[in-house]
Amino acid sequence: MPFSFLLLVLAGLAVISYRFGTARARAVAPGRQSQLHSRPMYHGLYAAMWCGVPALLIATLWVAFQPLLVKGLVMGGLPDAYQALPEARLNLVWNDIRNLAIGDVVRAQPAPEIQAAADTFHRLYAIGNSALALLCLVLAIAGASFALRRVSLTLRARNQVEKVITVFLIASSMVAILTTVGIVLSLLFESLRFFTKVPPLEFLFGLHWSPQTALRADQVGSSGSFGAVPLFTGTLLISLIAMCVAVPVGLMSAIYMSEYAHRKFRAIAKPMLEILAGIPTVVYGFFAALTVAPFIRRFGEGMGLSVASESALAAGLVMGVMIIPFVSSISDDVINAVPQAMRDGAYALGATKSETIRNVIVPAALPGIVGGVLLAVSRAIGETMIVVMAAGLAANLTFNPLDAVTTVTVQIVTLLTGDQEFDSAKTLAAFALGLVLFCVTLALNVFALHVVRKYREQYE
Amino acid sequence: MENSHVRDAMHTPTETEGSAAAMGAKIQAQGTNVHYGDKHALKDVTLDIRAGEVTSFIGPSGCGKSTFLRCLNRMNDTIDGCRVSGTVMMDGEDIYDPKIDVVQLRARVGMVFQKPNPFPKSIYDNIAYGPRIHGLAANKDELDEMVVTSLEKAGLLAEVKDRMDSPGTGLSGGQQQRLCIARAIAINPEVILMDEPCSALDPIATAKIEELIDELRENYTIVIVTHSMQQAARVSQRTAFFHLGELIEVGDTEQIFTNPRHKLTQGYITGRFG
Repeated sequence: MPFSFLLLVLAGLAVISYRFGTARARAVAPGRQSQLHSRPMYHGLYAAMWCGVPALLIATLWVAFQPLLVKGLVMGGLPDAYQALPEARLNLVWNDIRNLAIGDVVRAQPAPEIQAAADTFHRLYAIGNSALALLCLVLAIAGASFALRRVSLTLRARNQVEKVITVFLIASSMVAILTTVGIVLSLLFESLRFFTKVPPLEFLFGLHWSPQTALRADQVGSSGSFGAVPLFTGTLLISLIAMCVAVPVGLMSAIYMSEYAHRKFRAIAKPMLEILAGIPTVVYGFFAALTVAPFIRRFGEGMGLSVASESALAAGLVMGVMIIPFVSSISDDVINAVPQAMRDGAYALGATKSETIRNVIVPAALPGIVGGVLLAVSRAIGETMIVVMAAGLAANLTFNPLDAVTTVTVQIVTLLTGDQEFDSAKTLAAFALGLVLFCVTLALNVFALHVVRKYREQYE
Repeated sequence: MENSHVRDAMHTPTETEGSAAAMGAKIQAQGTNVHYGDKHALKDVTLDIRAGEVTSFIGPSGCGKSTFLRCLNRMNDTIDGCRVSGTVMMDGEDIYDPKIDVVQLRARVGMVFQKPNPFPKSIYDNIAYGPRIHGLAANKDELDEMVVTSLEKAGLLAEVKDRMDSPGTGLSGGQQQRLCIARAIAINPEVILMDEPCSALDPIATAKIEELIDELRENYTIVIVTHSMQQAARVSQRTAFFHLGELIEVGDTEQIFTNPRHKLTQGYITGRFG
């Protein structure tokens, strides 16, 4: 029985147990449902859970461990000649067996012992699948009948169901947390491998970035150097330019939207502004590379400046435009959350509208605005596509916005795209860069959330 | 003064003609209407507020007393869809005249709100805010003195003089409300409007505010909206009763509470509705 079909059958059984559960609960207390501890629906859910959950758990475990078990059995059954093979060769043999069993493309003439192993493989899988199906069905039916037998006036079915739902909710929230932990750990271990090849101090404070390493011992001049400071300064420069665009524009537009704009205008303009956030970054990227960068270049040449065709300025400006909605949307919400009483208080003292905004509303909203800006900064630091397309790849250590620079994210992309071996310093450097990036944005986010929370405490 | 006081007999509340002017009317509202969108919130109110007295507005919720109060310093301007018609004269000037600068008007007519609303700044900055924006103090020393005087007048100085730099929001509710009163009197207004200033406070804080109102009466014209008839009786010299957007009756507080002329007023003060 295929696994999907088994799931379908289990779902069907669960639905049936639900029906039986509700019916039975009603039958236990005919016409006097109020005497039931839990409503019939909960008895139904209780039965459905007993029917579905254990069977599903067993099925999941089985599917997870069956390949390992089968592999062990099949390989153990191979003649000693094969057993003596080194690890890598053994894996090739295993691949042959599996391909043969599944009916995939195989080498022309399989050896008889391989053929035998493939047969065993096939047989084990067939047995395993049937056993699984049988076990699941038995478990489902046993669970359901156990639950149905327990249906009574006093059964606390609701509490049990709620408990299971709570567990399910916890599990759901754990998914995100565990994923984060997993990502951090993988970053950490790969970075540690990198730091055995390149000392951390050299990585963090070195001034020269040229990650080309020699593939063969006889290659010349490609020892590679991993001083990441040019990348940090590039990231910093571009983020700085972006914030110089996004913070004033975003804040001003937020103030206009929340304090001055007519309600009808706001209803149209605010969603339009937020569309900016919905444009794919790659579109911003080619906008920056094909429209803004040449424009800046021409403009700069007109003024007698030498501008690189891929400049930090172009990338920074477009990135600034991209994060305007972050700043303006959060600022707008925060400004709106400043109680009307604050405005009334200032107006009643004879403050003008702009005095009220400057002296009362913005200071009161400042923690929230700062929080929004910090979130925008972490977005700017992590942004990749625009800089890949518009800022260039040259790791120049410069603060001149008209030069080409490169950022941490761009280097990660270039280090990891294409065919790479994952044990050279070159590729491992990407993980170390990722770790640095992660730490910086994490710190910014934590700080931003802290600031926002502090603000919330003030008014609610 | 006398001429501007002639009123349409239809809208004249039960009050002896001319007596207000004799007492020195600070504010004279004439045929004042307020609409919030389609809602006619205040209907043809004609009323004098006398200088140097406390006038209280009473009436059931939604009767328009707060709306009328907010007409007196044009706070209704900040509400979308609010229209005010009729005239409100202050010292013989129509405050709704386009020539009048609303900012200057509000400097003359201060306001204290139902919920204490100190700015999230220090106690000192809360008081100094008004003098600063109006440029009332020539130097730091003058400003310091203004802050101290205002706090003293509001009866708050003793409690906060050691912590002028701590945030105003950290004070207790009653202290915050007195801070707001101090903030209002720091710009030396002529009139102080109070919109249910004690409804968020406990009885002890309320008693303090009432005492303060009585002291402030010497220097300021005070208008107070209140839900508590006892409070109106305690602090005010004149009382106006509003019902469903109309001014039903206005007169000396004692007369309103002991000998109301209108059936509705009597019903309200004896607690039959409201």
